[in-house]
Amino acid sequence: MADRMHASPMRRVWTIAFREFRHTVITKGFIFGAVVMPVVMFAAFAALGLLIGMQMTPVVGTLVVIDESGTVAAFAAEELTPEQVAKDMQESLRRTSALKNWPGSDAAQQATASLPSIDVKVESVQDVNRVDELRAKVQDGSLLGLAIVTPELLNANHMDAEGNELTFTLIVPTRSAPRLTGMLEKSIAKAIVKARVQRVGTDYTSLKALLALPETSVRRMSTEGAEADENAIAKTLLPMGFMMLLWIATFASGQYLLTTTIEEKASKVMEVLLSAVSPMELLCGKIIGYAMVSAVMLGMYGALGIAGLSAAAMGDLVSPGMLILMLVYFVMAYAFVSIMMASVGSAVNDLREAQSLVTPAMLILTLPIMLWLPISEQPNGWIATISSFIPPAIPFVMVLRVTASNEQIDTWQVILSLVWGFAWVGVFVWGGAKIFRVGVLMQGKPPSPRELIKWLRMA
Amino acid sequence: MTTSAVNLRAVWKRFGKTEAVRGIDLDVPDGSLTGFIGPNGAGKSTTIRMIMSIIHPDEGSVQVLGADAISAKDRIGYLPEERGLYRRMRVTEFLKFMATLKGLPGAGLDARVNAWLERVQLTDASKKRCQELSKGQQQKIQFIASVIHDPELIILDEPFSGLDPVNARLINRLIRDLHDAGRTIIFSTHVMHQAEQLCDRIVLINHGEKILDASMTEIHARFDPRTVQVEPSSHNPADASRLGALPGVERAQWNPERHAAELTIARDVDPQDVMRAAIALMPVRTVELRKTTLDDVFVELVGEAMPSSEESGNG
Repeated sequence: MADRMHASPMRRVWTIAFREFRHTVITKGFIFGAVVMPVVMFAAFAALGLLIGMQMTPVVGTLVVIDESGTVAAFAAEELTPEQVAKDMQESLRRTSALKNWPGSDAAQQATASLPSIDVKVESVQDVNRVDELRAKVQDGSLLGLAIVTPELLNANHMDAEGNELTFTLIVPTRSAPRLTGMLEKSIAKAIVKARVQRVGTDYTSLKALLALPETSVRRMSTEGAEADENAIAKTLLPMGFMMLLWIATFASGQYLLTTTIEEKASKVMEVLLSAVSPMELLCGKIIGYAMVSAVMLGMYGALGIAGLSAAAMGDLVSPGMLILMLVYFVMAYAFVSIMMASVGSAVNDLREAQSLVTPAMLILTLPIMLWLPISEQPNGWIATISSFIPPAIPFVMVLRVTASNEQIDTWQVILSLVWGFAWVGVFVWGGAKIFRVGVLMQGKPPSPRELIKWLRMA
Repeated sequence: MTTSAVNLRAVWKRFGKTEAVRGIDLDVPDGSLTGFIGPNGAGKSTTIRMIMSIIHPDEGSVQVLGADAISAKDRIGYLPEERGLYRRMRVTEFLKFMATLKGLPGAGLDARVNAWLERVQLTDASKKRCQELSKGQQQKIQFIASVIHDPELIILDEPFSGLDPVNARLINRLIRDLHDAGRTIIFSTHVMHQAEQLCDRIVLINHGEKILDASMTEIHARFDPRTVQVEPSSHNPADASRLGALPGVERAQWNPERHAAELTIARDVDPQDVMRAAIALMPVRTVELRKTTLDDVFVELVGEAMPSSEESGNG
């Protein structure tokens, strides 16, 4: 007889778990899909700006402004200097809250570094009869553009008889890039405003300063009296980011679990396995194996995300407590998804049949995505509170709530969601294991919901 | 005293309203080579699955190797009727995986796998993925997977199906070797002559019930021969009808390959009387009382011919 060790249930479970892990993670598909692809996408986004910059041709040429007053062209020329274009762009970028704390502080300046070289000559024409001649020049590409500004546009009241805002006309060549057209449009519009202001005898710079809306610094006061910065965009996006991270980590593994279970049934390897292990050992092995796959994905993407937040000086948005809760909810989410996928995989013969059984649960699981905004905005509101007790969506909604709230959500709600959630995990494991036990040996047509209930009774 | 490797007592298994196994009692002696035969849907595979504790009986008890079936799993080798391999796994890796699940330690596993691959003449396939193997090669790998842990009890469900004659002979020899080494072997088959050649004991299951459980010697003793083969000196097929008219002959059929008439004798007639009457009737070259085959036994007990292995389904 062979020198046989006692193959304890745990040894068998781990043997299966490691096989599943190894044959999922150390595969070209996983390395490409889960590691290379995100890196390539990140690199592609980074390269995109560079490519756009490289593709931009220098803006060199003449813009003609037909304006009887002859005042607009000079202001347009001021607006179209390289310095002014860069300044406008920086100001626009700085107004974006998410970039306020971007490392290097002058990232906006860096962003404008990719602007094309600008050398625009602005010519003023007061003779309106030259329109056709100048149109022809635009058509043959000798001019960058032709702006026609009517005298009424420079009046303090620049409305027509019906009370509509008067417009100016900008004629550009067919091949004019949208970005260049936008730049010309904006510069002429600003020049018209400056001309209006000049006409009424007011200093534009002073007026602009007077009319500028002050920027807001929202300070959120906690119940304990502590104040914290508000970063509205980050606060809205962060919960979604965390929930999507949880979603990707659990569902990617869940999908693997579903397909490998179906494959094992289809290739008849299931009965070979069941001659060596019990259905419960097989189920546990598979779930642990894919939990490790899921943890690898969560760790990888999570670390990238946190590194990104830290780099953006937004690391304080994520507290250690939040991360611990995130991990606990990950365990719960993975348990829900994995047991569901394994039991469905055991009951069907192919992925098409699996879809019809998975769809009802998927509808519940999309709840947090659909309710992302109301939950993020009011993490203690009634929508958030009720939906965080609906299994199997509990962990996904709770992650949204925990990461969304500036002030902590009620501790009793967190504890109740954990107790309630893990109690439901127990129910899912009980039912899923029964279905798995019967399903793995079943062939032929997939079970109806009524048959599934029968399986729950007979197993 | 002979001990039982497998012991089933009043085992019942139902699937919905279907009674797949109906109160089977069974003792498979230690060291025996027992054949499970029976028509499609008779309950053979269900019985085997219960012995393997893949499914559990609704009633009755199953004892394997003196323990309950689950705790004896590591000491049993099982080749299921429906073959399965991890298609993308390499052959060596798959065999090591199965051996580890069956409790073999990692040390010495490579040598054991290589030795088995050599025995089945598949050393070249060790680095290949399972999906790259031919059907026959895959079957041999599965056979190794079922015996690599040197089990005390080996259960083979249709081990020869899909094998060419050369590979079938190889597996046949391996089964004999394992049996000679003292292993208890149960194998289910639809091919009667294989069961007859290999087995020292036969269990016939029909409609979920055991209708025969005996050693081959007992079977030959119990089912006395009822066919007399007469080779007339003339080799004339027309002699078959003359022989068929003899008293006590139920049916006479000409066998052109043997140039002989095969006479089926009525149950209450002594074959010796028919043989004497045939010699008296015409000049003959040989007269032979044919030994009872498993096919004959099967037809007598089940009432229909055994389907060929190609038609086999779940038992």
